[in-house]
Amino acid sequence: MTFSAGEAAELERIRRRIFLSLFVALAVALHTLEALMPSPAPWFRLGFANILALTALFLYGGRAAWAVSLARIGIGSLVLGNLFSPGFLLSLAGGVAATALMTAAKGLFGRLIGPVGVSVLGAAGHALGQVTVAWLVLVRHDGLWNLLPFFLLFALVTGVVNGVASDLLLELLRGHRAFAGAGGAGPTGGGESAPEN
Amino acid sequence: MTALDRMIVLGLLGAAILSFQLTAPGEAGERVVVEQRGKVIFTAPLNSDRRVALSGPLGETVLVIHDGRVCVESSPCPRKICMGMGEISRNGELLACVPNELLIRVEGGREKEGEYDLLSR
Repeated sequence: MTFSAGEAAELERIRRRIFLSLFVALAVALHTLEALMPSPAPWFRLGFANILALTALFLYGGRAAWAVSLARIGIGSLVLGNLFSPGFLLSLAGGVAATALMTAAKGLFGRLIGPVGVSVLGAAGHALGQVTVAWLVLVRHDGLWNLLPFFLLFALVTGVVNGVASDLLLELLRGHRAFAGAGGAGPTGGGESAPEN
Repeated sequence: MTALDRMIVLGLLGAAILSFQLTAPGEAGERVVVEQRGKVIFTAPLNSDRRVALSGPLGETVLVIHDGRVCVESSPCPRKICMGMGEISRNGELLACVPNELLIRVEGGREKEGEYDLLSR
């Protein structure tokens, strides 16, 4: 059976929508799981949920990454019951800073940059955004900035781990038939899925 | 992993190490300052050994100054995090007991004016 050009595009759009919603669902699950894990400080997060935003960025472009991140934080906070609480604000600030940096880096460097680089930048942005908002809203004490080096180092490690995970996931997905048309299947994909958003 | 990825990772590693150096505590401090709800309730020089009991909402927190270092020896707070923070002796270092509303700070020595101006905008 063959598709006409219009039908193929329609199929692609629907596929994309379905996979994005699956990404959001998975990201919410990881977000919730992370909140359940013990952590040395309320802001230390492994950032596994970011793997999905990262994968969406590489498969479908910047707007998809924003959608996954913001939906994940919004729905995740509803699930955890901390919508609009300080923890939610920190989550949002970190998420916005991370996504902004990630989409900017991808837009700027295009095919030169891989998931690991984007992920590390996002993790560092996450740490910076959180400490800034924590300082602005919660504890107006300069001693807070002494935590930043630890956050940055931690972000570096989790960023690399998440980047590698996203790389593996991308490889797996791109090998699948359903993603043959999505960005980055071959050397021509990737950045090119962005402009059509 | 592309070459740019590696450069970014290395660059951020450099930034992290640099930030560790920037926020490294200053030289040995001169005095201990204890704040409660934003007010200074106690100060003492670091070079004379002494033991002092400070009262907070939960009870008395015992502070010990010894050999130019200060630590919390006992505290009525439930999790004893302030006792676990160990000793401080350098300018800018902090001990905090949040439940008992005590903030113990070391001051003096060489001030790190530039950095704090930058950070507090």
